[in-house]
Amino acid sequence: MARERVPRPRTRSFALRNGLQVLLAPMPESPTVSVWVWYRVGSKNERPGITGASHWVEHMLFEGSPRYAKGEIDRAVVRVGGSLNAFTDVDFTAYYTTVPREHLDVPLDIEADRMTRAFLADGEVARERTVIHSEREGNENWPEFRVEEELYELAFREHPYRWDALGHRIDIETMSAAQLREYYHRFYGPRNALLIVSGGFSPGPVAAEIRRRFAPLPTGGEEVRVAVREPPPHGERRGELRGPGTTPYLQIGFPAPALAEPETPSTIVLDAVLGGETRLFSTGPRWGRAREHPDSRLYRGLVDPGLAVRASSDWRPRVDPGLFTVQVQAAEGVSLDRLEAATLRILDRLAARGPTAREIADLRTKVRRASRLAYEGASGTGFRLGYFWVLDSLPSEDRLYSALLRVTPGEVRERARALFRPERRVVVRYRPTGEPTDG
Amino acid sequence: MAESGDPLRIAYLEAVDGLTVARQAPPRRAGSFSATYVAPAGWAFDEPGAEGTARLVAHLAAVAAGPFDRVELARRLDRLGATLTSQCAPESAELTVWGPADAWATLLGLLSEAVARPRFAPEDVAKARRQLLERQLQEATQPASRAEREFLRAVFPERHPYRGTGVGNRRSLGRLSRARLLRFHRRQFLARGGIVVLTTAARGPAVVREVRRRFGSVPTGTEPTLPSTARTAGPPARRTIDLPGRSQVEVRIGGAGLARADPRYPAAYLANEVLGGRPLLSRLFQRVRERGGLAYRAHSDLEAMRWGGYWVASAGTGADRWRKVVPMLSEELARLREEEVPARELRLVRESAIGEIPLSLEVTSDAHELAVDAAYHRLAEDHWRRWPGLLRALRPRDLREVAAAAFGPAGPVTVVAGPLEPRR
Repeated sequence: MARERVPRPRTRSFALRNGLQVLLAPMPESPTVSVWVWYRVGSKNERPGITGASHWVEHMLFEGSPRYAKGEIDRAVVRVGGSLNAFTDVDFTAYYTTVPREHLDVPLDIEADRMTRAFLADGEVARERTVIHSEREGNENWPEFRVEEELYELAFREHPYRWDALGHRIDIETMSAAQLREYYHRFYGPRNALLIVSGGFSPGPVAAEIRRRFAPLPTGGEEVRVAVREPPPHGERRGELRGPGTTPYLQIGFPAPALAEPETPSTIVLDAVLGGETRLFSTGPRWGRAREHPDSRLYRGLVDPGLAVRASSDWRPRVDPGLFTVQVQAAEGVSLDRLEAATLRILDRLAARGPTAREIADLRTKVRRASRLAYEGASGTGFRLGYFWVLDSLPSEDRLYSALLRVTPGEVRERARALFRPERRVVVRYRPTGEPTDG
Repeated sequence: MAESGDPLRIAYLEAVDGLTVARQAPPRRAGSFSATYVAPAGWAFDEPGAEGTARLVAHLAAVAAGPFDRVELARRLDRLGATLTSQCAPESAELTVWGPADAWATLLGLLSEAVARPRFAPEDVAKARRQLLERQLQEATQPASRAEREFLRAVFPERHPYRGTGVGNRRSLGRLSRARLLRFHRRQFLARGGIVVLTTAARGPAVVREVRRRFGSVPTGTEPTLPSTARTAGPPARRTIDLPGRSQVEVRIGGAGLARADPRYPAAYLANEVLGGRPLLSRLFQRVRERGGLAYRAHSDLEAMRWGGYWVASAGTGADRWRKVVPMLSEELARLREEEVPARELRLVRESAIGEIPLSLEVTSDAHELAVDAAYHRLAEDHWRRWPGLLRALRPRDLREVAAAAFGPAGPVTVVAGPLEPRR
């Protein structure tokens, strides 16, 4: 049987001598062009004491480089009607700029300038410290963030997935500009980066322009694979947090495979059966939007009978083995004990009996249909291409897609049995307290 | 005349039994289709004591309709590779279907089922009520939601349609029976007063034919009466809500704004972009984050609706910093009211706003939002083509005048919600 592939724009790739990999995805009708630079550095490359360094460096790359003084990057892009941003993950850091197609030179100039020569000046680092604090505080306002952070701290004792990409509060307070510069110079550079251009442009001239701007950059940027492997857990780990909130909230996690591992397709199916959604092949504009999946197991087992107001599952693609998680927000009056017991029953049932043939058939249809519109728009295309590349490789998308369409109910049952063992479980519960007072 | 293939123009087609029909060409090579039905069914139309009705009706219409219960509808959408979503606002409710362009007629059929025949199954109603109750709790305890709620309450008087957030209260939720939802639906989801906007390559006559076929069962009705939007300016209000145990303080400063149809809207739009609307360039971002290092988020929003609106500057900051941030936001509002924007700054912000229009045409769903906005506000078919000219015609004085008028003699309202004192 011929392998099925995800329909995507034709791409052209090449590498410069300094190691920079380049991927061009021309979409001739597109009114915009999107430039993405993906670096293989994320919070997994940090160590205690400098947690959050990747994220902080990301902020600093907007704060000054030889051709762009502080604020100039923003002005240069916004002036031509473009939009730009960046984000830091545990495995990678990505920068993107989308502009009307006639302004492609603007993002190329910016990225070439800051790839190896960002200043990370002392004063700017000091000023940004409170901004980073503030970003973290904004997340801390949500119990979901606090619970997830606790869950990963409990699940990982050795591997740096233990901490969130925002880093620990204490490290944000103490990290120095010199430490950030050292981190930047170690990991940033052509050898550890992928440059993607997607949208309305002609590949020939743009390839020449990229060579002109990026080839003179010095070889640099180190890809460091994390050598640490998380030892398997030998017993359930639990945590409980208290704080302001609405109703009790619960997350349960289990060690799960990395993107490149052979168990991944059946894990993705498990995610879809439980929560109704697959992170890599979801339906909807711009990679889908959060919505209810009334035919998912968690919804039927928790939301339908009135135990929860929301229930979802999540497996995130990772370079190293990560977590498979379940998130449940209780309905008012439902205790955490009852909620947890009901959630675990759903997982146990799936491990005992596996999914139905219909669930598998529905999932295949869903994945096939979702993939048809996965590459719409220059920005979305740059994101999707880079995401697969940075976490594994470009061909991994087709491999995964093809494998997903072949997963059997038996394989999913076996995966559930291996995954949902009680001794591998991590549970964090959030108990809301306190009432607000009017001042 | 040949039909426009320009996504920046919409075409008002022949109305169907009073239902306004608008078509927009999709971006080139787009593989997807979007259609939205907008009804005058926002929470402004909730009966007193039954707040929450509009939100539940909009939500449930997209859950189960016509021959499809909630599971069947979800499966049908998955089989098509489509989504059906709902939104509710003070004035209106929107149902939007998105999916592959070659299935556009089928998708329109699903949308029409949601509009004309939502099921409101008792178990779905009970579930949605539980979800809304959790949302109420969030509004009370989560700094961002709480600040938003208190801001609206401070700006708009009792019974004003923009005063609430549509989630109701515990007592009103208890009253939301299936019969009440059906009654609201019958009264508000009509052809007259409703709008259908399609972003499709299908030609106008085919669109009208399909809308007539699919929406024929929607009763014509009469357009609902507008709620009163009269408001009396109160004294400038300042509210602080202590939410101990949270990490971040949310600040809101602003007041009532103007309606979208107001001829001063372009000036207000650009004034807001200068203040805090334009990412990265705006004064709030530059002063509070870039120079002050005091907050991760500092921005402003201009909500211009049919009957009026509001204008609000926002920031999320720490318990030890909000006392510095509040005066900064106030000063920037005052500067906009009192001083003309320098020509260079105005040019930069204006050209940025104009330059970003192509970014809205990357994908169908984004282009579609422009069309829905134009159709809902009854703007000209070529509004988005004319938009750059409207912005370029503005002078610094226009921005100052619209800002000066916006908050009235009472001045802006200030709301602070979060942990008011740092943790010890």
